[in-house]
Amino acid sequence: MWETIIVTPFTNVLLYIYKLIGGNFGVAIILFTILIRLITHPLMASQIKGSTKMQEMQNSKEWQDIQKKYKDDKEKLAQEQMKYYKEIGYNPMSSCLPSLIQIPLIFGLYQSIMRALAASPGQLLILTRTVYSFFHVGDLVPLNSRFLWMNLGQPERVYMFGYGIPVLAVIVAITTYVQSKVTMPASTNPNDQGAMMGKMMAVYMPLLLGYFALTFASGLSVYFIAGNLIGIAQYALLGKVNWRALLPGQKPVPALATRKK
Amino acid sequence: MNKKYLVLIGLFLPLAVVLSGCAAGLTATAWPAMTADAKTAYLAGGPYVYAVNLQTGAQVWRFPASASSANPFYATPVLSPDGQLIVGGFDKKLYSLNPQTGASNWQFTNAHDRYFGGVLVANNMIYAPNADYNLYALDMKGQLQWTFEADQSIWGAPASDGTNIYFGTLGRKVYAVDAKTGKQVWMQVLDGAVLGSPLFGSANDLFVGTYGGTLYALNTADGKTLWSKPASSWIWAGPVSDGTNLYVGDANGKLIASLASGGSKLWEKNLNGAIVGSPCICGDKLVVGTEAGTVYFIDPSGKVLQTIPLSTTMKLYATPLAAGTLTLVAPSGGASTDPILLALDGAGATKWSFIPPK
Repeated sequence: MWETIIVTPFTNVLLYIYKLIGGNFGVAIILFTILIRLITHPLMASQIKGSTKMQEMQNSKEWQDIQKKYKDDKEKLAQEQMKYYKEIGYNPMSSCLPSLIQIPLIFGLYQSIMRALAASPGQLLILTRTVYSFFHVGDLVPLNSRFLWMNLGQPERVYMFGYGIPVLAVIVAITTYVQSKVTMPASTNPNDQGAMMGKMMAVYMPLLLGYFALTFASGLSVYFIAGNLIGIAQYALLGKVNWRALLPGQKPVPALATRKK
Repeated sequence: MNKKYLVLIGLFLPLAVVLSGCAAGLTATAWPAMTADAKTAYLAGGPYVYAVNLQTGAQVWRFPASASSANPFYATPVLSPDGQLIVGGFDKKLYSLNPQTGASNWQFTNAHDRYFGGVLVANNMIYAPNADYNLYALDMKGQLQWTFEADQSIWGAPASDGTNIYFGTLGRKVYAVDAKTGKQVWMQVLDGAVLGSPLFGSANDLFVGTYGGTLYALNTADGKTLWSKPASSWIWAGPVSDGTNLYVGDANGKLIASLASGGSKLWEKNLNGAIVGSPCICGDKLVVGTEAGTVYFIDPSGKVLQTIPLSTTMKLYATPLAAGTLTLVAPSGGASTDPILLALDGAGATKWSFIPPK
């Protein structure tokens, strides 16, 4: 099911782009990442809108009064929160549902890149079964896995003075951190679990993706970097990038306060 | 720790596990490969290289002492005339082992990628193909003599006529390099990736099957095409020859017999699944394994003598091997309780099966 609906079509589109642009797999990964992000852009815009609304709501005096008033009665607190959601026309699923829908697409993209690279006999045999019959698979293999200084089928290292430096893993970690920071909604509410989650993700995701970039084929790193930069660009187009968050010692500016000014 | 932080860590960990799971699923794979001497079969079968007693099917030894599933062995082990068992691993290392004990004699660690193909031992030298695009030539003590850099990964074992070394690459090329110096003699471009080994024929010709679905005969003097014949789909492993005829299988399950001289087709047989490994000329019959997990015994005229289905979950990608009166087949893709090596007698009955001990 997952194979038929996601991985197989994704792999074939990726290979089609690769063939169309004359056989550069690095560029094909970047173009395919852009294509997927464009298709899912309405979901992302909806998520950003939902997150902003949630931030505004959590920073509002009414919301904080409800939190204080019913802090010892969880049931009543939940009822009042739902009532407040209805009053202001906020759907609590609007900020997380688009993200949930995007997750399988991201995993599918991730798997299709690795599938297309086919860096071992077993993987090539699987790729052979994945490619649609109108592609002549013998014409596609081997993919040109060289991109800039990298072999996209291998973990990347730049060798200097006998040491292999994982340049791409560092770039992946930095761009992931920057994306997390500049796209994180500001919150002044110390009990805002979403903001706490965001802070944790800003620390752990760069480490996790950096580790993947260090360990796995560099084609994956190209996807991570392209995805991070496109993600920042999408937020910037919607006017939601907070570059000041990158500066040390910056206090968050609450969304509602900004609006009131 | 603050309870809320614990909750957030609890949310984060499943995400990390899911991402790690996806990444783990990308671990490169291949299938077993084997060789044998008079008493023992040697199988590169995943995390270990196994030595298995040919009489009983019992494990004699396994290497290494502690295995890593991330660094399996799938390249064909090769016995050298001076008593070494040479095998490359996914850990980018080429090992020389003592065939009696499994103890390591030496390791060659210069390669940058995995070993998928077996080595060639000829001229008192070891020629080791690697996925890092290089063919490494070592002396019998594992000391590097020369390196030849090809255009793409080398997955199949090289062949030799004593003067030159011949091998194909994923880049659709076949190379001839001087066995002593490693200098290129010629290079020929074919219609598809060369995944298996070339076969050196008796009339100074070189037979190569391609992923483009063509069987070529090349002139070993200059690499020029003597003849080429299309198969019905891709050819993975190289052809085999009994001196007069060539036998090769393709992805559509067609086993094709042709004359080595001129390439005229003698017969073809439709089997029940893709043929990935080479056929084996085992005594007076051909033995072929299919992706559907069936072993075929076929006589040289194309008559199917016996059809032996192993199981619906097992696939036969490895080239079968003749070991005395036995035929060895190495299935893959089965459960952990399924055998990874079976010995069939002349009638096709299973004499023993080898299930790796935990």
